Order: sequence, then structure tokens, then C-alpha cells
Amino acid sequence: MAGSLTPALRLETVSFSYGVVRALVDVSLALAPGERVALLGRNGAGKSTLMRLITGLIQPAGGTVWVGDWDTRHRTPEALARSGRVGCVFQHAEQQLFGRTVRDDVSFGPRVAGVPAPEATRRVERALRALELERHAEEHPYDLPPAFRKLAALAGAFALEPALLVLDEPTSGLDRALRMRVTRALLERSVAGVTVLVITHDLTFAAETVERALVLDSGRLMLDGPLPALLGDAARLESLGLALPPVAALSAALGLPGRPTRQVDAARALARVAAGRPVP
Amino acid sequence: MVRLTLDRVTFWYPATKAPALRDVSLDVAAGEVVALVGTVGAGTSTLLLVAADLAPRVIGGRLEGRVHFEAPEEASGGRRIVLPTPWTQVSGMAFTVWDEVAFGPANLGWSREEIARHVDRALAKLGIAHLASREPAALSGGELQRVMIAGILAMDPGLLLLDEPTAELDPAGARILWQLVRELARGGAGVLVATSDSDAIPEFADRVIWLELGRVAAAGAPALVADEALCAAELGTTVADTWRMAGLAAPYPATVADAVRRWPAR
Ligand SMILES: Nc1ncnc2c1ncn2[C@@H]1O[C@H](COP(=O)(O)OP(=O)(O)O)[C@@H](O)[C@H]1O
Ligand SMILES: [Mg+2]
Repeated sequence: MAGSLTPALRLETVSFSYGVVRALVDVSLALAPGERVALLGRNGAGKSTLMRLITGLIQPAGGTVWVGDWDTRHRTPEALARSGRVGCVFQHAEQQLFGRTVRDDVSFGPRVAGVPAPEATRRVERALRALELERHAEEHPYDLPPAFRKLAALAGAFALEPALLVLDEPTSGLDRALRMRVTRALLERSVAGVTVLVITHDLTFAAETVERALVLDSGRLMLDGPLPALLGDAARLESLGLALPPVAALSAALGLPGRPTRQVDAARALARVAAGRPVP
Repeated sequence: MVRLTLDRVTFWYPATKAPALRDVSLDVAAGEVVALVGTVGAGTSTLLLVAADLAPRVIGGRLEGRVHFEAPEEASGGRRIVLPTPWTQVSGMAFTVWDEVAFGPANLGWSREEIARHVDRALAKLGIAHLASREPAALSGGELQRVMIAGILAMDPGLLLLDEPTAELDPAGARILWQLVRELARGGAGVLVATSDSDAIPEFADRVIWLELGRVAAAGAPALVADEALCAAELGTTVADTWRMAGLAAPYPATVADAVRRWPAR
């Protein structure tokens, strides 16, 4: 397995087109182990295409995609997943479950990857626990609301325990309690050294979950930097087709010290200012 | 005039013992936008299926109580639903986005000119005129969601039923959608929309209905999304929730603008 200095993901001047549609143009970036990153941008910006490249489903027309120390061009998607280098959840993954029970579905990845049974069982239990799905483990996925199917798909990727997790719109259709559950689970994974890349339109979720933002626009990487800084720049957000999320908007409108972008930090600042106490 | 009335509706999905909706009464009148909120599994999607006359008529199950829908006589002006899963609503019979959007109107007995006018207008409104000649199967998720909404809009619905319509939309798309919803209501349509985006509700809704475990837990003005009970159920707006988390007194502000009004100058 790759040493800890090898990026979990590296793209070198990557381009891709669907016929005449240029979906990605000269994209370069690198993600370090344990980093939590959001991939942002308008509908059609190229986000899902980038994900297909990372998982080896499509090959770059130009440039190179490195997942850990592997060049995806020489690997199949199955080999990439089995090697533990990358695990992913596609945009409509909740439609792709086929196990008889949630546990069956979550077990699929480790089983196919050839993880020995006792270890596979431990991983499945850890994944179910991380997303608080133990209660639903014996239910048929299609007896559950779509939001829970989505969590089951997420647990399936967790159970592979890959070095890099790539998730396309993991929170669409989830209520706030479930979104917070996903945030907690991803923070845990990241502490364990897993690199997390989430595609999302939900900047409230992103602010709670990640530290760094990548923004694509018309297939080009327009921004790569700390998310809080981007959330402090309404004009920049607007020009990239993004909108100021409520916490950052509240901080700016009330002039909260430090312009917090996470909800707990904003609540703490609000409480202190309201009580007339200085904010550290 | 369009009007949807549910009178003490209880609904069971096929082969289930516990009802998904319990004794629900509500109405949606012409010109009105009503938001439905609830935690996952509370019954908002089921309520929309009942309102659309898909449950129990198409998907089966059993209904007690009464669902009444009044609409003008025209072929359009009926009730139409946009499902939360756009890719399941694609006709699969159109080679281009234009044809996909024309699919619904073509079944309303309109003239070719009339169909074309409605399709072009719907594509322009959703900001997807540039996709007209693309193949529906080769679109990104958010692009497809816009196409499916355009297809419904092109039929001039009298009652529009939307289930998580912004789930895959970018912020510009979401803004366009909420504006469209207001515009439709101004034109005399009724709109019932289930959304987990509580933050958007103050900008588009006239009323809010909160479902919990299949029952109406509360209903009222949009300010309901800043209510203590809703916040406790994780359904309040982010601003209200942040206020509450800070231990500041209720009533909580629903939006940033409300918060600014509430916040003394310092
Ligand atoms: N299978 C496909 N065939 C042709 N064009 C596609 C296909 N999938 C996506 N595209 C196009 O590529 C561009 C990028 O799409 P995508 O990566 O899905 O965007 P995003 O995920 O950022 O919304 C869009 O213009 C989209 O219409
Ligand atoms: Mg996408």
C-alpha cells in the first residue's frame, strides 16, 4: 500500500469529452491522506464526470489520474475498488441496491474484495454502526424510505474501508438529522486517515463536514482552497454559481467576530455577543 | 377555480398494517403555495401520491376519507406531480430533450404550434434551452431534473405537486424553481411541495404543513419554520436553529433578514 506521503488522489492536466461536449479541461489537483474536500459547481460543471474518472469507469482523454500510487489507465474499476484505494457512492446509488437485506448489501463490497470472513463481518458491523443502521440491518432495502437506502449505499462504501471515499450528492433527499449523521460518520472516517471527497450543492452540509473546496465551472477547476475563506466571499460564490449558505450569511450580516461558517461556532459567537462578552 | 381537499384521509400501502397517513385534512386553493415538511418517513411523499391520484388508484393500497379535486374543464389545468427521482419519470421514448418535454403536452390534444410554444417557453424558464437537442439519457442529474420539471410545466398544470424538486439542483436552479412556483401561483395554479430545504420555505410558501408519523402535527404561516417544536424536530431553518442553539430567547428569527431586525445594533 502507498506510503502516507503519496496523495490519496492526484490529477495531472486531466481532460475528458463526451463527443463534442467538453466535460473536463486540464484539471490538476492532489488530495492528501485524511483530507476532507468538497467538489462544488453548477449542474453540468463536470463533477460526476470527475468521479467516473477517479473510479476508473472512464479514462482521461488527456492527462493522468492517480489513485494512490496507481494510474487508473492501467486498472479496471473492480481492481481499484478491491485494492482498497477508492470506494464510491454514485449519485443515484439508492437505486442500485440488490441485496435481500441491508446487511447483505453492505457486505457485498468486502465479500467481492476477498476480505476474509471474520474481518469482513467486523467491517460490515463498523459501517452499519457508523451510519446508525443497525436497527435496519435485517430489513429489505426497498422497504426503507429512499433516504435510508442512501445511507445503506454509503455504508456499503464504508465497509470497503478504502483510503479514499468519493460520494456524489450524499445528502440529497436527507433531512437535517440524517445529514448530521452523515457528517459525523465522515468526520470519524477522516480521523482514521481516510480522504473524503464529496460532491454536493449543499453548502450548509459542506461547511459542517469539509475543510477544503474545489469548484468546477464548465469543466475547468476555477478554485482550490479553504472552504471557510470561500464562504466569506459572497461575490466569488455568486460568480461560481454558488450561493451563500445561511450560517455564513448570518455571520456576515450580524458582523459576528471571526465570521464563523459552522453552526456551533456561530451559535457560540451569537451567545457571547448577546451576553456582552468578548469572543476569544 | 382549482382546489384540492383532503378530508380525514387515512392511507395504507398494500400489505401493510400501519397506515402511512392518519386522519389528514388539508386543502390547497388556487393561487396558493403550500410547503410540506416532515422528517424522513413522516408521510410527505405519500401525501403527494394521494393528492396526485396515484395512491391508491395506481400503486394500490387502501384509503379511508375523501380526496376531492376541482379543476376547470380544459385538458390542461389538471394535477401533475414531479417525482423526487427524475430518472424514473423519463418517458424513454424521446431522442431529444425537446421531444421529452413535448411528450406530456402532445397528449393533451393541442395543436403543433401550441405544443411548440409551451415547450419552448418551459425550456427557457428552466434555463435549459441550450440542451434542447441533447439526448435525455446523456444529461447530468441536475440537468435531467430541470428537464422533468419543464415537461410538467409545459402542460400548464392547475395543481402542481412537487416532491423534493431541488434535490439535485444547483443554487441558481433552486432559485429559478422557487420563483417559478410563485409565478405559477400568481397565474392561478395551486402548488403543494414537499421539501427538506426548510431554509427556502420563507421565500416561496404561503403556508406550511408539518407531518409527523403520518399525521398533521401543525399547520400555519411560513413563520412556523422558526417554531420551537419544529426546530426541536430538526425541521426549523438554519437561522432559527442557530439562534436556539445559542440559547437566545424564542421566538426565533426564520431568516437572516429576520435576525438582522431582531439584533440590536452594537
Ligand atoms: N453520458 C453522457 N453523454 C454525453 N454527455 C454527458 C454524459 N454525462 C454527462 N454529460 C455532459 O457532460 C457535462 C458534465 O456533466 P456531469 O459531469 O454529469 O456534471 P455535474 O455532475 O457537475 O452536474 C454536462 O454538459 C453533461 O450534459
Ligand atoms: Mg452530477
